[in-house]
Formats: sequence, C-alpha cells, structure tokens
Amino acid sequence: MRPWFEAMVGIMRRDAVTFLSYRAQIVSQFLAPLFSITLFYYISHVLVRRTFNTPGGYFGFVVVGLAIIQILTITLGVLPMSARQELISGNIERFLVSAHGPLSCLFGTMLFPMLNAVVIGALTLAMAGLIFGLPVAATAPLAIPVAVLGTVAFMPFACLLVAGVMMFKQVASASAFLVAAITLVGGLYFPVVLLPAEIRWMSQVQPFTPAADMMRNLLVGTPLGEPAWVDLAKLAGFAIVLLPLGALLMRAAIRHGQRIGTIVEY
Amino acid sequence: MHPTSTRSELRSPVIEADKGKDGEGREAPHADERAGAAQDLTDAHAPQATAAVAVASPKLLDHEQASPLLELENLYHRWRRSTQPVLDGVSLTLHEGESVWIGGRNGAGKTTLLRLAAGIFLPQRGTIRMGTLTPRSSGAYRRQIGFLSAGDRGLYARLRVSGQLDFWARLCYIPPSERANVVARGLEQFGLEALAGQRVDRLSMGQRQRIRLAMAFMHEPAAVMLDEPRNSLDDDGYRLLSEQVELVRARGATVLWCSPRGEDRVLGSDRGFTLEDGRLEQAS
Repeated sequence: MRPWFEAMVGIMRRDAVTFLSYRAQIVSQFLAPLFSITLFYYISHVLVRRTFNTPGGYFGFVVVGLAIIQILTITLGVLPMSARQELISGNIERFLVSAHGPLSCLFGTMLFPMLNAVVIGALTLAMAGLIFGLPVAATAPLAIPVAVLGTVAFMPFACLLVAGVMMFKQVASASAFLVAAITLVGGLYFPVVLLPAEIRWMSQVQPFTPAADMMRNLLVGTPLGEPAWVDLAKLAGFAIVLLPLGALLMRAAIRHGQRIGTIVEY
Repeated sequence: MHPTSTRSELRSPVIEADKGKDGEGREAPHADERAGAAQDLTDAHAPQATAAVAVASPKLLDHEQASPLLELENLYHRWRRSTQPVLDGVSLTLHEGESVWIGGRNGAGKTTLLRLAAGIFLPQRGTIRMGTLTPRSSGAYRRQIGFLSAGDRGLYARLRVSGQLDFWARLCYIPPSERANVVARGLEQFGLEALAGQRVDRLSMGQRQRIRLAMAFMHEPAAVMLDEPRNSLDDDGYRLLSEQVELVRARGATVLWCSPRGEDRVLGSDRGFTLEDGRLEQAS
C-alpha cells in the first residue's frame, strides 16, 4: 500500500504547490468567508432570536451552514472542475498510463480540495467566534470526526459529477443545480421544518441534513432533531453504500470513454 | 525467451523492487526469474552509465531473432458518427530491442494506434498483449508503458521541473529510496539539470518537450510509445532523444513511435509502416 499512499501524497503536494503559487487566490479564499459571515451577522440582527433555539440565535445557526456550504461548494463545484482541468491539460492521458491508475489519480485529485474545504470551514467558525463573538460549545472538538465523516459521505456526489465530466466533459450547470438544491433542502440557511411537507422528505434522503444537525449540535449547541446515533448512522450509511457505487460509476465512465475514444476529449 | 516471460525479464530493477498491487488494488504478477539478457538490461540503464558511452557502443539485440514483446492483433477502432473505421484489422508485433516507426497523413489513425497500444483507449475489436498482460487486465500493463502524447500538453504549469518528474515518479510507484536517483537520471537524460528549479510555465516549448520525454523514459518501461517526439526539439534535444531510444533498445525494450513525415525516420527504426485507410502497410 505504501506506493499508493506515496502517489496520493504526490498528488496532494502537486495541488498544494499549485494552490500556494497563486497568492491572490489565497487571500481571496480567506476574505470570502469573512464577508459572508459579516453579511449574515447583520442579517441575524433583523431576525427574532428565539426562533432559533441556539445560544447564538440565527447567526450561530447559519455560520455552521456557511461552513458546510464551503465544503459542499468545493465537493460539488471545485472537484468536477479539477477533473475537467485534467482533461483540458492532457494529464488524463498520463493518469491512464500510470501505475497509479486513472481512478486513484482522480480520487487523489479530490484530496487537497477536500482538506482545503475543511480548513476554510474551520476558519469560518473561528472568525465567527473571534470577531463576532459567537459562543462555541465545549463539544466543538467532536465536530472534527463528524466533519470528516460528513465529507466522506458527500464524496459520492462528487464521484457522480466527476463521472459526468468523464462522460459529458462539462457538468458546471448540473453542479450548480445540485449545490442550490442541497442548500435548499439541507437546512443550511434555514431550518428544514419551514419547508413544505411535500418536499421536506428530501431533507432526509441525503447526508447534508444530518451532517448539519450534528455539526450545529456539537459546535453551537443547537438541539438535535433526531438522536445522535441516527444522524451518525445516516452519515455512515451514505458513505458506506454510496462511496463504492460512486467509485464504480467513475470507473465505468472512464472505461466507456476509453472504449469509444472520448476519454481524451474535452 | 518465452513470450509470456518476456515482461518479467524486461522489468527494470526499479519497478521490480516495488512490485505488488497496482493503482486499483490488484496484485501485480511477480517475476520468477531473470534470463541472461536481464543483466544486459541492468548494465545498459544503470544510473551511472552515461548516455554517450551507451550510444557509442550500443548493445543492440538482434530484433529478428528476439521474442515478441508487444502484440497488437486485428485492432479495429471506429469513431462515433463516422462510417469508416480509423483502424481496420491492424496487426503489429514489436520485438525486444526493436524500434518501429508509423507514418501516414494527418488523421490516418497514428495517434489512435499509439493510444490503443498504450492502453489509453481500449480496443473495440482485436487484442493487445504484452506477455500475459493486456490493457484491460490490470495496472501491471500500465507500469510497462512509457507514453509521450503529441503536442505540448500533460504538464503542470506551476510545478518546477524536478517537481514534475518527482510527481510522475510517484505515480509510477518508484520506491522512495530510488525516487531521487530516478528524477536525477531523468533530468540528466534530457539535459534538464540546469532547469530543475524552473517553473514549467516559464520554459520554452522545446524545454517542455524534453520534460515530457523524460517522463516517457524515466521509469524504464518495457514499451515506449512516442507520438511525434521531435516536436520543438533542437539538435541537442534530438540527439538526446536518439540516445535514449538506443538505450531503450539496448536493454531489450521496444519503441513504437509515429510522425507524419518519413524524414523523421532517422531517429532510428528497424521497420517502418504507413497507415492508410485504416490498414498498416510496409513503408518503402
């Protein structure tokens, strides 16, 4: 397994070097969440505090949502773009003739953006606490393993989109639609109980709602909608069932492109 | 040398030291033994051996008596929305130590043939075999392939030259203990030592082509596929490329390369073919 890990480290290092070489991007990536939380800090002042059973009121509720949206946007937006970039740059050919293989290479391409997303999510929470005085619960450290599990549970959706990139080359609109839809039904900006009953069921059939519930509970003390073990079981279930399916789908898409010769198209 | 044992015997010491599972978790076949030729290979591509010495006195194998290394049989490929196949029943056997040139007009299917042989495309019909390995079977096939695509793509703009080669060495599963030597050798083989710390996007096209060539050769594959390798190379770059082709042949590996023009054949080829109407014809 060591060569496999060495290759994965190599891919992460490549992405880190590339990321750090664009200095303006680093600055903007740190400023963007600051502006977002500033905006929602003032919006939260016009909302009735008791509507949100959270020490920080709506601000506490939405900041956790914003942190998850960072992960969501990168998972469903940046990862398919990275896969498309590999097509455009011609590196997919190199993946296809490497010992590491195209599937592992594409999974490797997901690692740095995921790590980056988790860091930006954590930074969002830290800025909310340090600058805007959001009270952070003592259970906050427990949010780290939940965030990791949640990220793994989100990955099948990224696999689906990356498979789409391999097949159709461009999935930007599908990605944007998916992010918007999940933001709506995942309870990231507002509680899902506000949704009409006809679409509320959607909040229960994806991993973003239980991830948001757990994270809010651990970070800012929002009461859980369901017992913790139910949310955890849902997250683990999505990861265990959907991740292998996502990998198979990516593999099938790559093989299909290899057979008909479109794998190198972009 | 038995065809099914060819790959094991040709596998370089670097790759051999790291055999195990491929990138998708399957077991790579183990080498059982090394024939006498293997010692020639080790000698020929030892890091300390200079290219100049090797080219001055290449230990080329007699390809006509050599065993088949890579066998392409009855390959067929048709693009969607096209009524005519681009490859139609193409068969070609590459032997140990052999260099084969494929020519043909633009769009004749040269690149498609190379991509099939490299495992980038999977055959719609026909078979590709390297001993017991096929592109479909496992990543072990990919370990034996060196590939240079046409054009100038396949590099990461913001990486430095040494970083680019290190990245590729990792994807080739070169063990950490050998990686620095392999990267240094790749830099040396194509005269890139002075550029090792330069960022790729600040290099000329010819310098980028040298990096791309280094990545095709540095992991010492059994079969090197080169698509228009002379692109942007100056005389010195071309000389270094010729030296590497001779070294590959000397260690019993094979080179399959293509270019549209016949004059490129001075790169060195034992046989030449042109692709026309989807079929291979012996070049004059």
